[in-house]
Amino acid sequence: MGSRLSKFLYTAIVMFVLWLLLTSTFNSQEVIAGAIISVLVAAFTHERFTRKGLANLHPKRVVCMVLYFFYFFWQMVKANIDVAWRVIHPKMPINPGIVHVKTTMKSDFGKLMVANSITLTPGTLTLEVLGDDMLIHWIDVKATDVETASKMIPGVFEKCLKEFLE
Amino acid sequence: MIRRLFVLVLLIIIGYFLGTAMASIPFGAEKVDVGPYRSVGNYYVDNTVQETGGVNAVTSIVVLYRGFDTLGEVTVLFLAATGLAAILALTRERRKLKKEKPSLIMRVGTDYLFPAAIVLGSYVFLHGHLTPGGGFPGGVIIASGFLMLFLAQWRYKVDELGLKIIESLAGMTYVTIGLIGLFKLGTFLGNFLGKGTPGALLSAGIIPVIYIVIGIKVGSEMTGLLQNLRETTENE
Repeated sequence: MGSRLSKFLYTAIVMFVLWLLLTSTFNSQEVIAGAIISVLVAAFTHERFTRKGLANLHPKRVVCMVLYFFYFFWQMVKANIDVAWRVIHPKMPINPGIVHVKTTMKSDFGKLMVANSITLTPGTLTLEVLGDDMLIHWIDVKATDVETASKMIPGVFEKCLKEFLE
Repeated sequence: MIRRLFVLVLLIIIGYFLGTAMASIPFGAEKVDVGPYRSVGNYYVDNTVQETGGVNAVTSIVVLYRGFDTLGEVTVLFLAATGLAAILALTRERRKLKKEKPSLIMRVGTDYLFPAAIVLGSYVFLHGHLTPGGGFPGGVIIASGFLMLFLAQWRYKVDELGLKIIESLAGMTYVTIGLIGLFKLGTFLGNFLGKGTPGALLSAGIIPVIYIVIGIKVGSEMTGLLQNLRETTENE
């Protein structure tokens, strides 16, 4: 748990980066306006936005986050090809169903990242997250027992996410 | 009977004034002569940047050429919000709804999206004179950030008095800017600030100032409105 100041600074930095992405310029007027807005927004929302504060900006975490983006992109490409193949296949080889899996992520943010990663990859969809349990709609159910299914769906993302989130 | 008579007299009075106002408009006559320009639209296209310093012609028309009209629009929104609050206050009995608790994805996701929505809304109303957008959409984006919290986090509440104070201050600032223009240049909402370099953030005189005010006003108004609507239902 970070201190209030650390949470505030972290929120302000993230909001400032968002502002720079929106304006995509380093014009001094824009930068000053962005700094003022980020500080104002962070002052009101830092308790909501972060729990760890500046610890999130540890270089190792930032590098892991960027690496996760590429890893996730690769998973998405694979899943897209898989679903596309099922769509154009004349026999439409699907075996849809809802499976129960367990996530090993502890923090709420970790669970959110795993759940959204599952939803964004075609073929799987997170229906509900309750504690450690997740209900997932799977286009081709390969395993129904909790352990195997947990390794096949959230496990793929977790082993990479755990590095920087937990 | 007396009431009907009263309404009739009122209608006659309104009709008379509307008639006299309309009588001076030359319906069916040739278009207003705007010199070498074929229509008023061409005039705006050719002269907006030199006259106002704003590169977004739509914004310059809305805030400067027709600033008084925009003040009216802000008033309409204010009246609509007040009217809705009055109607909702009359319906004492609250509908009981059985709602499912928001899931973890919604609850946690909104925490991270909320500050981003406020920054995006501020970006839109600060750049009204440079890019499509302005005070109205910017304010609505900010209110949509609050809507996410209303939907996903039941206990979340905005201080209603605070909202009203912010909104009234914004409205008063708008009128004050108009009055300063009246005293300095002789026209209500006259552009008394420098035009600056077209395209820069600090340009186009009072347009960004007015859009900041409108953004804050619309944002707080819509947030209050959404909160009022939510409070008509109760969780079972």
